[in-house]
Amino acid sequence: MNNRLETFVKDNRKSFDIMEPSADLWAKIEQGLDARTKKKPVKLYLWMSAAAAIVVVFGLVWLYAGRLQNKDLEIADVSASYAKKEVHFAGLITEKRDSLAIFASANPELYKKFTADLRKLDEDYERLKAELPTSPNQTFVVKAMVKNREIQLQLLKQQLLIINQVDDYKRVNQI
Amino acid sequence: MQGSRAAQFELYKLYAKAMYNVALRILNYEEEAEDVLQEAFLDAFTRIVDFRQETTFGLWLKQIVINKSINYLRKRKMEFVSTDEISEVPDEDSFDDSEVQLQAEEIRAAITQLPDGYRVVLSLYLLEGYDHEEIAHILKISENTSRTQYMRAKKKLKSILEQKGMRDE
Repeated sequence: MNNRLETFVKDNRKSFDIMEPSADLWAKIEQGLDARTKKKPVKLYLWMSAAAAIVVVFGLVWLYAGRLQNKDLEIADVSASYAKKEVHFAGLITEKRDSLAIFASANPELYKKFTADLRKLDEDYERLKAELPTSPNQTFVVKAMVKNREIQLQLLKQQLLIINQVDDYKRVNQI
Repeated sequence: MQGSRAAQFELYKLYAKAMYNVALRILNYEEEAEDVLQEAFLDAFTRIVDFRQETTFGLWLKQIVINKSINYLRKRKMEFVSTDEISEVPDEDSFDDSEVQLQAEEIRAAITQLPDGYRVVLSLYLLEGYDHEEIAHILKISENTSRTQYMRAKKKLKSILEQKGMRDE
């Protein structure tokens, strides 16, 4: 019987919330809300100008630092013959990618997989490129970069072949 | 933005009364309870962006109300427990209320006569539905203290009810 009080309160919970706040309380809250929202635009404006100032400062610093550090090493600086090869590959890669993109709408699933593979290779390339200026053996890195391009090209060729076959197969099956 | 004024008023209408009673039970003063209510709603509406829907709006608001009420009480220098008070735990069946005709209004009035510490613990446990672990967290006391305070509060409540001649027979 010890829990009679608890049970009673639980059963009659509503009868315990009988007091009412005064009627003008909402008006006071509304006043408070108005006061707070009025303050807001000024504050927002202030924050926005502060943010804009920071962006401008960062932009200037970035531009300045970029100009100072713009000794980005290119393949051509290391080896002219490799540079030629790389340019040749890069041209072919763009070409093949364009051809591959034509099939994209017909085989979106496959295209997605293909581009994912290519992206991985691209990332490798970018990493090598970033390594190049500081690398102790630059010829080695350049070789790897050109090799990477070559692999990309091979991959693209194979992908084109596959996607062509898939496309043919689909067309035949449709008929 | 923070939602329209009409929506805020709807929330106010929905929760004001319940929250007012929560605050009033803790504070025992109507003016203070209204101040708490006003602050709590203002806070809730301006901080509504912080409100992640892990709980309901009502529970979230109730937490704000209770925290603010406790702060008000603390400003009045209320001590939740003095160290010598927690020595012995009263018997579980101290509130043997089988003969007491329970009536909501009488209980409600009796609760207002409890000392601050008792009233707060009893209200939080009995009426707001918090368990002792949560109460310990809210009041920054030990769980055992919360339990003891609750037992004592119940005992005291019973004696107040009895004094009022609420015994059935």
